[in-house]
Amino acid sequence: MSGAAGLAAEAGVIAAVQAAYESGTPVEVCGNASKRGMLRPVQAAARIDTRALTGITLYSPQELVIGAGAGTPMAEIAAAVAGKGQQITSEPPDFSALFGSTAPQTLGGVVATNLSGPRRVAWGATRDHVMGVRAVNGRGELVRSGGRVLKNVTGLDICKLLSGSHGTLAILTEIVLKVLPRPERRGTVVFAGLNPVQGVAALSAALGSPYAVCGAAYLPAEAAAALGFRTSVALARIEDFAVSVDYRTGRLREELAQFGPAEVLDDAASIAAWAAVRDAVPLHGQTGAIWRISVRPSAGPGVAAALAAAFDARWFMDWGGGLLWIAGPATEAAHAAVMAAAGKAGGTWLLFRAPDSLRAAVPVIPEEPAALARITASVKAAFDPKGILNPGRMYAGI
Amino acid sequence: MQQPEPKRHVLARRDAIVAGLRGILPESGVIAEALRMKPYETDGLPAYRQMPLAVALPETTEQVAAVLKFLHREGVRVIPRGAGTSLSGGALPLEDAVVVGMMRMNRILEIDYADRCATVQAGVTNIGITNAVQAEGFFYAPDPSSQLACMIGGNVGMNSGGAHCLRYGVTANNLLGLRVVTIEGEIIDIGGHHLDAAGYDWLGLLTGSEGQLVMVTEVIVRILRGPEGARAMLAAFKSNEIAGQCVDSIISSGIIPVALEFMDRPAIHACEAFAHAGYPLDAEALLIIEVEGSVAEQDFLLGRIKEICSQFDPISLKVAESAEQSLAIWKGRKGAFGAVGRISPDYLCMDGTIPTGQLPLVLRRIGEMSDACGLKVANIFHAGDGNLHPLIMFDANDPASFATAEKFGADILRLCVEVGGCLTGEHGVGVEKRDLMPVQFSPDDLAQQRRIKDAFDPGWLLNPSKVFPLQAPHTLAIAA
Amino acid sequence: MQTNFTAEQLRDPGIATANKILRTCVHCGMCTATCPTFVLLGDELDSPRGRIYLIKDMLESGRGAPEEVVRHVDRCLSCLSCMTTCPSGVHYMHLVDQAREVIEQTYRRPWHDRAARALLAGLLPYPGRLRLAMIGASAARPLRGAVPGNSMLAKRLRAMLALAPKRLPGPSALSGVRTHKAEGDKRGRVALLAGCAQTVLDPEINDATIRLLTRLGIEVVVAEGAGCCGALAHHMGKHDPAMASARANIAAWLREADGAGLDAIVVNTSGCGTTVKDYGFMFRGEREQAQAERVAGLAMDVSEYLTKIGYAPTREPPGLTVAYHAACSLQHGQKITGEPKALLRKAGFRVVEPAEGHLCCGSAGTYNILQPDIAPRLRERKLDNLHRTKPDLVAAGNIGCITQLSGGGLTVVHSVQLLDWMAGGPVPQGVADVR
Repeated sequence: MSGAAGLAAEAGVIAAVQAAYESGTPVEVCGNASKRGMLRPVQAAARIDTRALTGITLYSPQELVIGAGAGTPMAEIAAAVAGKGQQITSEPPDFSALFGSTAPQTLGGVVATNLSGPRRVAWGATRDHVMGVRAVNGRGELVRSGGRVLKNVTGLDICKLLSGSHGTLAILTEIVLKVLPRPERRGTVVFAGLNPVQGVAALSAALGSPYAVCGAAYLPAEAAAALGFRTSVALARIEDFAVSVDYRTGRLREELAQFGPAEVLDDAASIAAWAAVRDAVPLHGQTGAIWRISVRPSAGPGVAAALAAAFDARWFMDWGGGLLWIAGPATEAAHAAVMAAAGKAGGTWLLFRAPDSLRAAVPVIPEEPAALARITASVKAAFDPKGILNPGRMYAGI
Repeated sequence: MQQPEPKRHVLARRDAIVAGLRGILPESGVIAEALRMKPYETDGLPAYRQMPLAVALPETTEQVAAVLKFLHREGVRVIPRGAGTSLSGGALPLEDAVVVGMMRMNRILEIDYADRCATVQAGVTNIGITNAVQAEGFFYAPDPSSQLACMIGGNVGMNSGGAHCLRYGVTANNLLGLRVVTIEGEIIDIGGHHLDAAGYDWLGLLTGSEGQLVMVTEVIVRILRGPEGARAMLAAFKSNEIAGQCVDSIISSGIIPVALEFMDRPAIHACEAFAHAGYPLDAEALLIIEVEGSVAEQDFLLGRIKEICSQFDPISLKVAESAEQSLAIWKGRKGAFGAVGRISPDYLCMDGTIPTGQLPLVLRRIGEMSDACGLKVANIFHAGDGNLHPLIMFDANDPASFATAEKFGADILRLCVEVGGCLTGEHGVGVEKRDLMPVQFSPDDLAQQRRIKDAFDPGWLLNPSKVFPLQAPHTLAIAA
Repeated sequence: MQTNFTAEQLRDPGIATANKILRTCVHCGMCTATCPTFVLLGDELDSPRGRIYLIKDMLESGRGAPEEVVRHVDRCLSCLSCMTTCPSGVHYMHLVDQAREVIEQTYRRPWHDRAARALLAGLLPYPGRLRLAMIGASAARPLRGAVPGNSMLAKRLRAMLALAPKRLPGPSALSGVRTHKAEGDKRGRVALLAGCAQTVLDPEINDATIRLLTRLGIEVVVAEGAGCCGALAHHMGKHDPAMASARANIAAWLREADGAGLDAIVVNTSGCGTTVKDYGFMFRGEREQAQAERVAGLAMDVSEYLTKIGYAPTREPPGLTVAYHAACSLQHGQKITGEPKALLRKAGFRVVEPAEGHLCCGSAGTYNILQPDIAPRLRERKLDNLHRTKPDLVAAGNIGCITQLSGGGLTVVHSVQLLDWMAGGPVPQGVADVR
């Protein structure tokens, strides 16, 4: 952290962890707690708050990096980069509505959960854009990894390990992200009325085209209605200079003519549609549980069909069919069906939202094979030997 | 360079260890005669050499697992090796270590165009993946200069980059899954054919771990559909400062060229002599800028870039009129290392990264150091991402010249860290930059990395004496 | 790369040359990837970089060739793919040739190996002897399956018999020492390297070359006293016979050059062309160096020469797809890559290229006989890649490759036969069947 306030806030986190380490007290790590409902509930006596770790510490637009305290609201960072015509590349979603939170999410929360939006399919996940971190491990030591440059293979990549570790290894205090220019325009080619298999085939063809498609989602009719479409839609997005968007959307319509006539959404309509896909708007208002399933894209429709047969499901697919969002009853039976279907397809799954009772009772992410589970336990101990940081959040006992 | 003391009991049991390996691998898969091990004593950094205890060349993941299990039981150190192209000495053996070479695992196992991924064995070359998929218009994006020879397993180990990673990312950004073998000989699958596995990001941690944590035997990579076309242009400037400002302006304009390469005067001269690419010899700095898309899109982007460059008083601007001219422009840059090899008997290729805005200062300081120590240096720079490759020219047959080159290189890397950068952008720490790690990392930073190493390899048998400075308690402990 | 020669060692011109070559190598390893034996065997020792290292060690030690070095140098095809790849310009060819000489001088091979090499060196360069041997071999060819055992000897014998043509062609109509007059206006005069083994194995190649060139207004002389280029002996490390062959050629061709004049020495066997073009280096420091350089400077592959003088077909395009097989000696040894394809296209063929075109087919002079474990694997790989292009014909510029690839379900001819055909010559044998 730079700046006196930042350093003081970081020192505060260090002191708090040191105290917890000394006393062996488990702590829950929280920013604005907007995604507290993810994964397993943490049983902890105390909480360490990262909200004081705030403020942009570095922004060098021509070097494509921005750094900020982990407690900085994501909106503040997005506004800062937008002011220079840039954007956060991985398109981090905002799931406040899904979790019923009104608090703005923080940079630390986005990185600790490694949540990425539709652009992930072309430009990488949030973790791919974390260039450097400062973090406090479970011993209360400040650990730095990476830095402020875009290319860095010096030492083990702790930046990636901490991204998506849900605060179970260390508490992020400052993060440097790579940013990219915000394209001049967006456009979306819409293929309507396709069944899921045809829809994913269309998206595969789009992603396999030379036109740099950077968003590919399929919404069955029910989900599509949430975006104002009358029937199922397969959406392929292009972001670029205006001339390129016009040219490429045109080429896509021609080359994918076998999937029927396609409409093109303009810039404003594209922004709205992809924000809705990003934030899982089609599942807003669903009670019960929500899962995210990640599979080989061509396996997506099969998994969706299997689950729709198993329970009353509302679903849609992003990442060209590779990410299946599915809502259903918050029951162990439904959960078992998800585990079975995703496992059969060779994919992975995440119980994204569920009542505490369910998420405390079942694994919320796949259990690892024994050899890997041993490594998981050892690596956890390498950061947090007393197991005080967010205990049990990812796996029971870790 | 200091290396850990060999383990006496391992040296004493050499025959038994070789016999054990022969029990696991076919006859041609174990090399133990001194003369035949000789070519394995070094890699792409031949200034450092050490004969190993033996060389093992497994052909399957199961054989790798059996070999590691056996060596682990015997307490024998292991040096993973791919094509041996590391520029940081990543595959340098130890006297008491067995080199486990992956060159025989060179099969492509699956190509899936619909899901845009390919499963390959670790010994497949980087270009081999692209060659296998290019008939369908696809490619594997990371393109290190050694892509013709370097193997994907080594790319994973070093998290290799390349000239096009500003647009397409480095190795870590282009992987979906790994099959790895732990030092205990257990086979583990990481990730798969899908994105973003739940749980800890093992894929991210293992990529670039320089053989410290596991051995990689299979890799699932993302393959991408290539663009309609690509074209390069050359822009020559009167000073490094001006060229640097021009790069800033291009990036600030919202254009991310797929490649943005910078060469300083000595590099321009060396490359031109080799490639006859038409590089202007009166320039102080040269940019190679490449864009992609249809011809009309290329024209649009190159037009804009040309406009920006024109504001910086260029000596010359040359836009390739055809794919052939683009190739000619690239030929000089791609052959840069070899070109320097033609004007100097030996060179050390450094690999720091700096904040791009610091380029003029860093080049000025490198020039001063070069004058002071009397060794010439040519600088190649991935200008978009700040990765700087100073090529220090020396004479390996003159020990004083090598010592000076080593020190010069270390000073450059210290400078990179000092201005906010890092020791290595894409070549890895290896043995070469091991002792500089404390320049960039605090004791706590390094201790945390060591504890991760401990978690995977408590006996510190995997590729020891690399990455972590030797004075570490752990390495001292195992040396005892 | 660092070397460790003593000042005394460096006074030996051979060592000094080797040192210079070794010093250009930066050990980057690029060459490994395009080396056929490394791709097949996956061992650094069977890669150019590994061999360079072994050779360096052998030369530095000054103790002659140990068995391990011999094994891995013997496995080198001398395809020179590594030289195409090398960014630093390491002259591997000269280095490995020198290593072969050291091996020949200092290493005593097992008796059957010596016998095999002596047999090849005593047969191939001499058309008369080879023809007799081939008549015998053709007769014995059906028995090749009956040669028992897995010894190197047995494998080599089987390889030799397999390479013998089913039916030996009659002797050439046109080759033999004489001058062939140009048709119409004489535009030039060249010497043709009639060669040795080629005149026995496929005399049609020389005949087609002579027909084509004379039709284009070129006078072609097969010079008295010229014979084998010396490559076969040279690649076996047999210095003196190689030099003797080369010396005879130099004398014969310079007589012509200084007599009626020569615009070029045309070579239609690219393996030989690589050697003739290297005569200057072979004779470095020798009395005849200047003459050797002059001959080397005149040498041209037939495709180079045809490109220079201009070729045009007279027949309608035949509607055939030709897979162009790039002989290593042509693409790597002489760096001739575009000309043969351009000529074939001009002649009206659709030209396709196989994947892994840079990899050797395993012929490599006598390699297919001396390395019967490796050569067939390279042949299979090459045939696979060729078949995948679905060609009507395969064209190559080197008799070695043509022999090696024949009998694999593809019709393989010399490019010059196709060019001759399209310019008015007869349909090459075998081509009639695919039409």
